[in-house]
Amino acid sequence: MKNMLGVLAGRSFRAGRMRNLIAALAIMLTTILFTTVTTISMGAAESVTLTMQMLKGSRSDGDFHNMTAGQYEALADAAFIREYGLRMPVGFLTNAARHNIEFDVLDPVQADLTFCMPAHGSVPEAENEIVTSDAALRDLGVEPEVGAVVTIAFTAHGREYQLDMIVSGWFEATSEQISMMWAGTAFRDAHPDIFEYTYDQDWDMAGTYYSDFVAVSAIGLQEKLDHWVWQMGGDPDAASSGNLSAAVNAVTNPVLEPTELLLGAVIIALFVLCGYLLIYNVFDIAVMQEIRRYGLYRTVGMSRRQVKKLINLQALWLSCVGIPLGLLIGYFVGKTALPYMMRTLSSSYENVAVNVNPSPVIFVGAAVLAAFTVFLSTRKPIWAAANIPPIEAFRYAEAAAGGKTTKKSTAGTSLFRLAWSNLGRNKRRSAFIVASLSLCVILLNCIGIAADSVDIEKQVSYSIRTDFAVVNALSKNILEGFTRREHGLGQEVIDAVNAQPGVYGASAIYKNTLDDSNVTYDFPVEFDYTGTDEKTGIHYAGTNDGIIFNLGDDGHALCNVYGMEEAALARMDIQEGEADAHRLYERMAGGEGVLLGVPSDRRTSILKPAFDLLNVGDMITVFKNGEPVMELPILAKAALNGDDMEIGYTVNGTFEVGKDGLFLYLPTCVYTEIYDEPVIYKYSFDVEEGQQDSMSAFLEGYVTNVDPGMGYASAEEARRDAVTTRTMLWFVGGLTGMIFGAAGVLNLVNTIITSILARRHEFATMQSIGMTAKQLTRMMIWESVYYAIGVCIAGLLLSVILAFAVVKILIGGIWYFTFHFTLVPAVIVCILLLIAAAILPVIALKVFNKGSIVEKLRAAE
Amino acid sequence: MDIVEIRRLKKYFKEGPQVVKALDGINLSIEKGKFTVIAGASGSGKTTLLNTIAGLYEPDEGTVIVDGLNLSKMGEEQLTVFRRRKIGFVFQGYNLIPELTIRENIVFPLGLDDARPDAAYFPNLVHLLGLDNYLNAYPHMLSGGAQQCAAIARALITKPSIVLADEPTGSFDMKTAQNVAGLLKMTAATFHQTLVVITHNPELAQLADRVVRLQDGKIVQ
Repeated sequence: MKNMLGVLAGRSFRAGRMRNLIAALAIMLTTILFTTVTTISMGAAESVTLTMQMLKGSRSDGDFHNMTAGQYEALADAAFIREYGLRMPVGFLTNAARHNIEFDVLDPVQADLTFCMPAHGSVPEAENEIVTSDAALRDLGVEPEVGAVVTIAFTAHGREYQLDMIVSGWFEATSEQISMMWAGTAFRDAHPDIFEYTYDQDWDMAGTYYSDFVAVSAIGLQEKLDHWVWQMGGDPDAASSGNLSAAVNAVTNPVLEPTELLLGAVIIALFVLCGYLLIYNVFDIAVMQEIRRYGLYRTVGMSRRQVKKLINLQALWLSCVGIPLGLLIGYFVGKTALPYMMRTLSSSYENVAVNVNPSPVIFVGAAVLAAFTVFLSTRKPIWAAANIPPIEAFRYAEAAAGGKTTKKSTAGTSLFRLAWSNLGRNKRRSAFIVASLSLCVILLNCIGIAADSVDIEKQVSYSIRTDFAVVNALSKNILEGFTRREHGLGQEVIDAVNAQPGVYGASAIYKNTLDDSNVTYDFPVEFDYTGTDEKTGIHYAGTNDGIIFNLGDDGHALCNVYGMEEAALARMDIQEGEADAHRLYERMAGGEGVLLGVPSDRRTSILKPAFDLLNVGDMITVFKNGEPVMELPILAKAALNGDDMEIGYTVNGTFEVGKDGLFLYLPTCVYTEIYDEPVIYKYSFDVEEGQQDSMSAFLEGYVTNVDPGMGYASAEEARRDAVTTRTMLWFVGGLTGMIFGAAGVLNLVNTIITSILARRHEFATMQSIGMTAKQLTRMMIWESVYYAIGVCIAGLLLSVILAFAVVKILIGGIWYFTFHFTLVPAVIVCILLLIAAAILPVIALKVFNKGSIVEKLRAAE
Repeated sequence: MDIVEIRRLKKYFKEGPQVVKALDGINLSIEKGKFTVIAGASGSGKTTLLNTIAGLYEPDEGTVIVDGLNLSKMGEEQLTVFRRRKIGFVFQGYNLIPELTIRENIVFPLGLDDARPDAAYFPNLVHLLGLDNYLNAYPHMLSGGAQQCAAIARALITKPSIVLADEPTGSFDMKTAQNVAGLLKMTAATFHQTLVVITHNPELAQLADRVVRLQDGKIVQ
């Protein structure tokens, strides 16, 4: 007897198959949405993180630098570390041709954490065994092969070494510029002279210990690292100790900004709302259909709590069916969609193996979110069922059955009016259906406007001003950048490019590096403080407004200084001073002055006031080896874009060299006069129409076959990257819009079916007094179409209002958008909806209004 | 001894701009164990009176005391438990739960209280109402008369202080109506329960110990 509620719940559950099917479908759809989004998000995040880790060269939680042997041994007792590796730097090989090869001693843990484990062969065991990349071996003149002998040369403690080593294993290079070559600890033991610790005397890193580690927990990791450094006698706060230090790997453990968290919360809330719309109406209709029954339960003594328990039990069972199915389907949909999405989102991730494995986080996360949404969605219907007084339940049933019939039977009116009056039976539900479907229309149209407003050319022109630019591959790595003379382009690359057909408007662009610290600049800006970079040891000065300048040997600013041909200068956006590019170039070539570049607002190209420190006419003094050699007044100021600073969106190189400024542009002749060893960092050029593809093919072949250390950028590539923004908007917005649409259509279907089931007697009565089946169908079509018309009116109207009131303002703040109004997505959705609204009742009547008129009349009695 | 005591009971309903005085100052006492019929024309306030005795309506004025309990001082949950334990309901439309068997329908109110049927009382009741052979059947398998018997059994299973029936024979032919009415009176009498019935059926009214006639919300006889 104690199980009476369970028995009743079970029996009525089995009795309402159609209702349950729709409810389970709604829960399943919601779960599919959550699981798909979770799977794609996690997969995308993992892939992007892996890409960034590969670019950084480590997938650890953090690393320790400059340890002594004792400090390294103490890591074994650090409770916050789960696993740690060993790295003992030796130095860069001196016999490598173009590829940078760092030779270190590693243990397998370190090798694994830094993507250096051999894919072919095995880890080094003997003292003369090494593992390195295919690119490194080829650069050293050896084909990648286990057992191959490779000669390596390096310098340690001032002594030069040349050794013949055997390749015990190799891996495919993850970087075109740099590779790790590593030997095992047997090498260290065999060469104690190389690993003598003299760092405290001569700063030679050979003999120091480094270690990448995996933490037990990432929470409060930096504090734990700092504490450990303190314990070991180090000072984590020292500006430039050059000694023991430890840092969290920001790629593996990114710090989430409040805005990112807020955005995530908004997206989750949107999905929950979508699921809510889907499930709420299904349960609301189900409860309303059964309201008389709940009234009976209440009359014979069922308490509110028991009514709630009864419906909760059924919701639980439906969830037990819908959620697991949704998890499975959603997982496979997400897993299938992810590689496609990664490909469409960015060409940068093409080479990353996108792989999503069944993770408890995906399933538990999506299941919890789905269960929460079911719980949330059923609260109101359950509350309504439990709180309607028993007598009211009976009154409701009587009113619903009786009142309207009288009205209709006396109507003698058209089918349209009859259908219209039927909508008013439950105004709240009608409004709900119109609202959820309108949301779909509005959302898709807003996304359409946003996607249409993505200004591809604006992004391309920010990223690159010419058709092509050849740079060192480091300049394309947003974590690296052009910082040293050795990163410069060789004349042979430029000659090879010039030998191709259709090249015009070319300019080699020179830039200073950290190696040019003997050339500095003085200008009328007051520094408020000075300091020394902890990692690099470079001195810097700053203003109280947060603008920082790296300082050269003589204490003056290093600046980011460029030398270029007139063709390149003519492409820049000159905003103040001498506006004629030709005349400006001539005057600069005559030593009359310099062009000052100022970072600008990407949206408006207005110079950023924080960086706009000098005026046209202000004097800049050039110092060389501590002596003033030139006085250059500012002749003009230009608004900078990504191409003016480095290439694309890479700003790391300029930040490493000159920090925030100044950005000075000189003619090639002046630049080469000032700098002793001028190096070209970029070769920019246009290509005639029709030659674009052949130039792309040539550069691709050159990078692959001739010089892997070189990279190139093209306007076409930038265009493809820009298009991904649009694709992503369509993907995410389209998916969300479709789910809202599915929610709305499912609600419409549910309403139509419910309406047919509840009104079978009424239909039979109408038919018995002369309404034909065709008229009945037409009436139901009109009811359904009225909903669709309501949606179209509300959706189109609100789409227009929101486009100008919200979307325009939102995208107005993002630089690569230019507002374009469109109603095409909304119109398409409306047309589809009208078609669906006309078809659905026909199918529903065929399926759910079977039987003769007499049977239906008798069934109701 | 009175099981129902109603004093100056008023219950008004608003229908548009008009106020309908469904019950307009009713004073009524119903003696325990007696069979009382409430009669009157449609709209005279019979059902409202019955529902108020059951605690389904809250009086606008006056007091309703049933089995010593003042209903107007009880909360919603208390009223629910009161109905479950003190009131047995018989409806014109039976209102059996279609998914439950006749046995499950009968014991349903007990199940809500986590209680079991009295081992002696249940078979006796079922036998008296002629339901022995239908206990495992579902409502739709039974005739209207048998379904109403099941509804009566459900109303009596908790041994309520008072059984309220609203037109329990309204949908039957004369013969069935007589049978059902007879069974209702017999079972109530057998188990010493107070029976309050709304009916238009003069033959059923003749079986009553007392007939209360209502007109325009007032007792006229």
